[in-house]
Amino acid sequence: MTVKDNILCSKSHEYVYQEGENYCIGLTDFAIEQLGDIVFVELPQVGEKYAKGEIFGTIESVKAASEIYMPVSGEVVEINEQLTEKPELLNENEFDKMWLIKVKSEFFDVDSSDLLNYDTYKKEVE
Amino acid sequence: MAKTYLYNNHIKLGAKMVDFAGWDMPVQYTSIIEEHNNVRNNAGLFDVSHMGEIFVTGSDALNYLQNLVPQDVAKLVDKKALYCQFTKENGGIEDDLFIYKLKNNRYLLVVNASRINADYEWMIKNSGNFDVKIENKSDVYSMVALQGPKAADILDSIGIKKENQPKTMYINEYQLLNEDIFISRTGYTGEDGFEIIIRNEKVSELWELILEKGKPYNIMPIGLGARDTLRLEAAMSLYGNELNENTSPVEAGLSWSIDKDKKQDYIGKNIIMNQLKNGIEKKLIAFKMLDRAIARHEYPIYSNNEEIGHVTSGCIAPFLGQNIGLGYIKADKNLKINDTIQIMIRNKLYNAEITSKNFIQKHNRGN
Repeated sequence: MTVKDNILCSKSHEYVYQEGENYCIGLTDFAIEQLGDIVFVELPQVGEKYAKGEIFGTIESVKAASEIYMPVSGEVVEINEQLTEKPELLNENEFDKMWLIKVKSEFFDVDSSDLLNYDTYKKEVE
Repeated sequence: MAKTYLYNNHIKLGAKMVDFAGWDMPVQYTSIIEEHNNVRNNAGLFDVSHMGEIFVTGSDALNYLQNLVPQDVAKLVDKKALYCQFTKENGGIEDDLFIYKLKNNRYLLVVNASRINADYEWMIKNSGNFDVKIENKSDVYSMVALQGPKAADILDSIGIKKENQPKTMYINEYQLLNEDIFISRTGYTGEDGFEIIIRNEKVSELWELILEKGKPYNIMPIGLGARDTLRLEAAMSLYGNELNENTSPVEAGLSWSIDKDKKQDYIGKNIIMNQLKNGIEKKLIAFKMLDRAIARHEYPIYSNNEEIGHVTSGCIAPFLGQNIGLGYIKADKNLKINDTIQIMIRNKLYNAEITSKNFIQKHNRGN
């Protein structure tokens, strides 16, 4: 999988990267691989606000339901509606299709200070 | 963590390993959904070596076993299998198991991996003055399950010809790979299939042979993930989820397996007979989700805004393409098949419908 150069990852396996004025949030390829077949994704509504560390969604594999945490605080401006219809797209491992939500984030610099760059994250989890 | 004698085979196949009841077991090799559907459509091979094999012999073997289970073990002819439960004084289930009657009044008991030690202690504790020998051979034998509509063809191609294969719910002893092995036509998937018991030292060779000869039939190795979805889609109970020490076979929907006319006493008989006659407080139901959500173990079940029970197992049923589950509800609510209930999922109620326990029709059953 090709990932963006500027992505940052949390220890709970979310990633975030800047795209124009907004920030894209998703789950890392490592997390998806660990979960196996994804069968359900529940995402928030546009306009909802979440603090860093809050649960904003749920992802379910055949085996279990897992909560998804905000890697940074922000207001939801867009959700990946394709995934609520076709959660199995996440297993195709195509980075551009794997984002979950886009947010406006006022305090990105502060919030992201404890996040890891992708290479460091990969070393930590493997 | 304990490893089965197939551990290296799993690693070689790239399995994802998880802890199951203290055993390092494959949860999946490729994808749970793909493995699940391959068992329904073709065939799959499972490592179930973690399960226990306990042999009972001696002049009182039959009477001894009769005291442990609500089933009538006396009706077993040679080579016949019987699905049973060890019941406790309170009617609760110590374990569920298969009893196989072998030649010369030997009985083979196959028990759940998580219950081997508890079962063995239970069996010893209740052996009293019976003239029996109880041998826990779980460390000697491995077990694989070959399941699916192509299972009989594959068994044929490894040298157990179709005309010699056991009939459904029978066991037989064979020679294969210069070993004495047991093959029963039983399983935990709702499909035709076999369970093969072989000494640890030979199981890896058997595993390789079955996968090789199974190739023309599109066999796949199957992990515990699909084992769980297959058994749930076939509405079969799992010890620790649907079955436990405080739930009786009557409550668990296993009355069909109980011999109501059995003359002999057995542990918990008074309570079980009373439940059969006068009813029960909780009962196991099967349901399918109407709303788009997945019920999971322990989620509360509601009816008319009242909590009436809890989910014991729930998942996406890959072959059916529905979300299904099993759970206990209060029996006095008089809820029946086709009634709507709700499942509390992340603080929201989602509709589900009570269904019969035939999620899949008896699919691809053997002869």
